[in-house]
Amino acid sequence: MRNYENLVIVKPTLTAEEIQESLKAIQEVITSNGGEIATTDDMGMRKLAYPIEKNERGFFQVIYYSAEPSSISEIERRFRLNEDLLRFVTIKYDTNREVAAWNEMVKKAQGKTSAPKTEEAPKAEETEETKAVEAEPETATAE
Amino acid sequence: MAERRKYKKRYCKYCEAKVDFIDYKDVAGLRFSLSERYKIMPRRLTGNCKRHQDMVSTVIKRARAAALVPYTVTRKQVVTAPFENLK
Repeated sequence: MRNYENLVIVKPTLTAEEIQESLKAIQEVITSNGGEIATTDDMGMRKLAYPIEKNERGFFQVIYYSAEPSSISEIERRFRLNEDLLRFVTIKYDTNREVAAWNEMVKKAQGKTSAPKTEEAPKAEETEETKAVEAEPETATAE
Repeated sequence: MAERRKYKKRYCKYCEAKVDFIDYKDVAGLRFSLSERYKIMPRRLTGNCKRHQDMVSTVIKRARAAALVPYTVTRKQVVTAPFENLK
C-alpha cells in the first residue's frame, strides 16, 4: 500500500446536492479498487486560474488515501470517463519525507472536518462574504 | 538599479526555514518564486538553492495542472487580483 492524494475539480453547473453525490461516486471509485480513504478536505467553490471547458469556477476537493500502485491506472481511467469531473491531479507520496508530510496534512484535514461542527454559524457567514467578493469582479468585467 | 538591489542579498529562503516539503495547494507560498507573468523565477534572482529550486518548480507545475496557478498571463486576460479567493 502506498499513500496518494487526489485533487478533484467538479463542475460548478451542478447543484450543491449533485456535487455531493458526484463526490461520493468519486470516493466509491477509490474504495471499490481497494483504496482506503484517510480523509477528505473540501476547498470549496473556487475561481479557476484559467477556464477549463469554458467553466470559470469549480468545486475543489482533496482526497487522501492509500492504495496499491497497480490500482491507480484503473482509478484514473474511471475518472476520465466521469463527465462531472473537470480535472483531477494524482500525487504519489513515496519517500519518508513525503509520507511524513502526507500524515501531517491528513491530521490537518481531520482537524478541519471535526472542528466546523462547533463553529458552523461563523463559517457560513464567511462563505457568504467570499461569494459577495467573488461576485463583484464579475460585474466589473461585464461592464 | 532599484530592481537589482531587490535581489542583492542572496540566500535560500527555504533553507533558512528548514523546509522539507512544499505543498502545491499553498498558493500564497508559491508567490515568492513566481514572476508577475507567472513564470517560474530563476535561481539567480530568488537565491534558492538547487535542491529547493527543484522542489519549487515541480510544485508550481503541479499547481498549474490543478488550475490553482495560471500557465500564462496575456494582455487580454489580465488578472487584477489573482489570489483573491485565498483563505
